[in-house]
Amino acid sequence: MSATISLQNLRKTFGDGQSGHLAVDDVSLEIAAGQFVSLLGSSGCGKTTTLRIVAGLESPTSGRVLFDGADITHLPASHRDMRMMFQDLALFPHMSVEENVAFGLRLKRMRGKLSADEIRRRVATYLDIVRLGEMRKRMPHQLSGGQRQRVALARALATEPPVVLFDEPLGALDASLRRSTQAELKRIHRELGKTFIYVTHDQDEALSMSDMVAVMSGGRLIQYDTPEGIYERPRTRFVAQFIGAKNLISARVEKVTGSEVLLRLADGTHLGAHAEESLVPGQEVTAVFRADRALMQVNGYTDASLVSGIHVQSMFLGNRMEHIVRLVDGSEVTIHDAQARPLPGDGGPLQFALRPQHVQILTK
Amino acid sequence: MTVQADILTENAPDMRRIERRRALFWLLPPILWFVGFMLVPYAITLFYSFGRMDYVQFVAGFSLDNYVKVLTVQPYAGLILRSAKIGLLTAFWSTLLAYPVAIAMAFYLSSECAKHILYILVILPWWASYLVKAYAWKTILGTHGLLNEGLIWLGVIDEPLTVFLYNDFSIILTLTYIFTPFAVLSIYAQLERLPLSLIEAARDLGATGWETFIKVIWPISIPGVLAGGVITFSLGFGDFIAPALLGGADSIMISSVVISLLGVANDRPLAAAIGVAIILMAMALLTVSQYLEKRTQVRL
Amino acid sequence: MTRLGSPYLIWSVAGAIMLFLYLPILVIIVFSFNEGRNAGLPFTGFTLSWYEAALSNRQIVRAIWNSVLVAGGTILIAVPIGLMAAIAMDRFSFPGKDMFRRLVLLPLVLPGIITGISLLNFYVMLKVPLSLTTIMLGQGTALICITVTEVFARLQQLGRSQYEAAYDLGASEFEIFVKVTLPNIKTALIGSTLIILSLSLDEIAVTFLLTGRDNTLPMVLWSILRREATPLVNVAGTVMIALTLVLVTIGLRLSRGNSGRH
Repeated sequence: MSATISLQNLRKTFGDGQSGHLAVDDVSLEIAAGQFVSLLGSSGCGKTTTLRIVAGLESPTSGRVLFDGADITHLPASHRDMRMMFQDLALFPHMSVEENVAFGLRLKRMRGKLSADEIRRRVATYLDIVRLGEMRKRMPHQLSGGQRQRVALARALATEPPVVLFDEPLGALDASLRRSTQAELKRIHRELGKTFIYVTHDQDEALSMSDMVAVMSGGRLIQYDTPEGIYERPRTRFVAQFIGAKNLISARVEKVTGSEVLLRLADGTHLGAHAEESLVPGQEVTAVFRADRALMQVNGYTDASLVSGIHVQSMFLGNRMEHIVRLVDGSEVTIHDAQARPLPGDGGPLQFALRPQHVQILTK
Repeated sequence: MTVQADILTENAPDMRRIERRRALFWLLPPILWFVGFMLVPYAITLFYSFGRMDYVQFVAGFSLDNYVKVLTVQPYAGLILRSAKIGLLTAFWSTLLAYPVAIAMAFYLSSECAKHILYILVILPWWASYLVKAYAWKTILGTHGLLNEGLIWLGVIDEPLTVFLYNDFSIILTLTYIFTPFAVLSIYAQLERLPLSLIEAARDLGATGWETFIKVIWPISIPGVLAGGVITFSLGFGDFIAPALLGGADSIMISSVVISLLGVANDRPLAAAIGVAIILMAMALLTVSQYLEKRTQVRL
Repeated sequence: MTRLGSPYLIWSVAGAIMLFLYLPILVIIVFSFNEGRNAGLPFTGFTLSWYEAALSNRQIVRAIWNSVLVAGGTILIAVPIGLMAAIAMDRFSFPGKDMFRRLVLLPLVLPGIITGISLLNFYVMLKVPLSLTTIMLGQGTALICITVTEVFARLQQLGRSQYEAAYDLGASEFEIFVKVTLPNIKTALIGSTLIILSLSLDEIAVTFLLTGRDNTLPMVLWSILRREATPLVNVAGTVMIALTLVLVTIGLRLSRGNSGRH
């Protein structure tokens, strides 16, 4: 059941001509068979429209959608081997759980393909997969929010599509239910080996579940990478901020040696960093590093650079201590100390060390 | 599950074409109907309005005489204005009477069931036969009607009064009576959307009941008042039954004239011209009211 | 409940207005049982003889039958066309949609007499003889807007996602309509049918100009009323009030009661 999907230069304009609103702007993306891919972005970034183009619920203004190499750009949704789980779930209120799940199996296009017995067995199988076997006869309004999510999922899975699409289906759940449902989705993805495309605005959700994450903004695809890649090596300032990186430092490129870069900070000190794109000396960039990569023990490294600032405040977070440090240019960074040692007092000078491979350079 | 693969090898269906076909399927029958039974009849009416009568024979032509007549010769223009005045008064009084009922229904009933019952109670008189309702007022307002007999019994008057019936008062009273339920429903539909917390917040901030009404409830209810007002106005404007049953000799309205032009007077072109004028006015009214309703609509 | 003002004040005003709405109806009902030959005062005694007289009046019975026939035809025209227009307006965007909407809603603000005169001109020009059918076509056209507004409001409230879910699951347009759309708008459809039924039974303005030899009940009542005032009118009125009471109660139950609160 291979199902690779390839989006080529998708563009979608709503409304007409000049007054139109460009919802998707030149998005190209390769999705390998069996992958769990998230489209991540804030509302209005074009992620849902992209998903709807993949589903066949929206026609792109230009560009193509390929499914195993075949052009399905304008194939109607009903003819695509993909099923969608909708944001508001779209359960049919007048049908029982069982009837909802069987809906796709009892249509004209399926006639002759499945016997009544097989349909019953199939419905039972998928209700078991989402652990809802007991609720077969209930109506949607008799179910809890979490149970309704499961019905919608079983309904999408029951026709056994190689690709399942998710349009922020967990948005309405509370945090703990949300987390357990995420784990459940991950398990189902592993068990069934289908391609999942998942739209969300929640970076934790995207990073924890996906094989690949596509970060979108303003209709454009900003970065397409593994969750580790997105987290460790955000390509732009936007991605860095979106995934919650707080430590952004303005700097100027001083020297470039291959992928090794020497930055000069506002206070004149130097910071070694690592770059994937070519930079020129004198260029203004942003350096970003993760709070847990800062080294409080500043001595004993030959490769690390020292950063100094003023200690502003500390918070004890159980397994670690969080310090906020103000740098000379006024920006504040957060660093973690895993050993949770208290500092002598507020307002004193503080130094920490950073290794070049943990300092990422953003040019945009 | 190789539905898609089968499809792709054949002549693949195109969602844009399918979407167009579906739109056409749902749209075409209504469009054909509206063209056939509204636009074409309007066009024919327009055609008649440009012609004239030669004794009993219609003569086609392209003259604006009938329109000039509608605008300048009495009683036509005057009657349109008079009908508009009666329509406006009907709309005004209906709104005035409807508002307290809508308020009571929206804010002074806590159970859904009670709201539902009052809703039905309001709507019921609306659905009772128009003619019979108009006639009932005749029974009430007449020389030997309930009102006169009641006043005599109370000793307020000695002789039955004739001022209640066969004048504009009785027409407007009857029209107001008939269309008030409609105004209640459209105002209520708007008030229903207003969360009670808004009123509580206003009261909490120190507003009096009246201030709360003027500053919170009234602005939000305007689209409902407009919607109800437009329809009560139109219904009042086009009425010919109330004037015929309860009006005096001089209280005819524009619809009564159209009827007599088609009947006794046999002047189809002039009737058509009046018809076209009213269609244009209705179009304008609909456009303006839709615009105003959209502008005054508050997103809640 | 101290929200706007004293509930006593509000309820006494609202109550007085409700009384105003019901007074004439009570008058009709009470006087339909009056023994006297006059339709109004004095009330001389209780009798059912006017009901007997009305039911044995050929003209009235025939007119009731005609009215039912016309109402049936009107429903067959207005409900399907209105349903289709509502679906088209809800789901698709097409050029001239604003104009289309205005055209659909026009009869709502256009005096019935104008729909009547334009259709009359149409029939005269095409030399179509006036009959119950011409009345049906007229009333049907005038009342399409009722179904459109009722069904359109329900569809808007329903949103697109159920339609899209069914489409996404592979349903054809026909299957979506029968299995998903129809069950969801059923109550609005029945509600609008009943509203059209009672409006049609009471319609005068359009009917007045389009009527041929056969007359509907309001037209017969109208001619009786203009000649003389007999308690027959009160009887007919009472019967119609009772009838609409039943219809409207059913209609409202269906269109408001169990819908929109999933």
